Amino acid sequence: MKVRTNVLARTAAAAIAAAATFCPGVFATAQQIDMNVVDQPGRVPTPEENQLSGAYERQEVFFRSSESPGTVLIDTNSRFLYLVQPNNRAVRYGIGVGREGFQWQGVEKISKKQEWPDWRPPPEMIERQPYLPRFMAGGPGNPLGPRAMYLGKTIYRIHGTNQPQTIGHAVSSGCFRLVDDDVIDLYDRVQVGTKVFIKQAVVL
Amino acid sequence: MAKAFRTGAAALVGLAAALLAGCASEPPPAPVIAAPAINPDQLVGKWGFAAYHRDSDRGRTIKEAKAQCNRPYVISKGPGGGVMMNLADQANVSELVLKAGPDGKTYLGPAGDAGTADDRVVTNVDPNSFTTNWVDPDNASRYGTSVYERCGKKA
Repeated sequence: MKVRTNVLARTAAAAIAAAATFCPGVFATAQQIDMNVVDQPGRVPTPEENQLSGAYERQEVFFRSSESPGTVLIDTNSRFLYLVQPNNRAVRYGIGVGREGFQWQGVEKISKKQEWPDWRPPPEMIERQPYLPRFMAGGPGNPLGPRAMYLGKTIYRIHGTNQPQTIGHAVSSGCFRLVDDDVIDLYDRVQVGTKVFIKQAVVL
Repeated sequence: MAKAFRTGAAALVGLAAALLAGCASEPPPAPVIAAPAINPDQLVGKWGFAAYHRDSDRGRTIKEAKAQCNRPYVISKGPGGGVMMNLADQANVSELVLKAGPDGKTYLGPAGDAGTADDRVVTNVDPNSFTTNWVDPDNASRYGTSVYERCGKKA
């Protein structure tokens, strides 16, 4: 059912699978990326940083869709996640998406919800930052933020972030990140089994 | 005149006596720095390394640390008798020493006073595990409590 749009994504997925639970990392590679940031495990954003403004601020928008209310649609090009509401409306969240070569599309269901997910830095990151713990229990400063929603059997998740400045950018390895308040809001609105469409562009 | 002279002389003698008494008194005791309770050799080896922020996560973090020996944190002996470890956010190791603090805690950090910002407090030490907490509040907030579990043959 899933349609990979980029061969690189498969390669990346295989590499990432080896890292088991990696998602938010960004490596300083020769690949062209939208925003050159590295993970900052342990960084705790301020409330002001977590408050988005403009288009990426969580808001209800007009949204014509044949999908039933409660469905999630992710528009990777526009960096928006829509939660379909009744009467041609949707709650729209600003997100960060996979960087070049790490974007994908398909249809999944939320298979698991996790509060304060744990984080395991991938081997490449440990090599670069050997002072990092190999496992960081969920909590403030965790790069996955306060909530995670697993997408089917993939290694990808919708999760929070301790880097609010990356919202609106292509920075991840295929996961979708929201600021903490938004991911908590979404987490509270969706259930396991919720259908999630991941598209490069959502046509209204 | 003679009376004034005698009075002045007495004052000088009194002052000299006071000064001499002061010189003769014991200087304030130097702070007693006890030897740290931990030997650096106890920290040398390969360790499963994990961290947590909430005390309720300690048990499972220890379990996770034990499971991380496929990518251990390696502590070697330093040329000066300390141990080679990373400071916070430093990719290169440097020699750290164990220091007994005046508060009775054992600190691990660069040579010098105990309890400085680059130090961490070492606790829960046994032959196969130890725990550290950064002194610097920012580091402590970001990295939480670190647990190290010995890999391979247990001591």
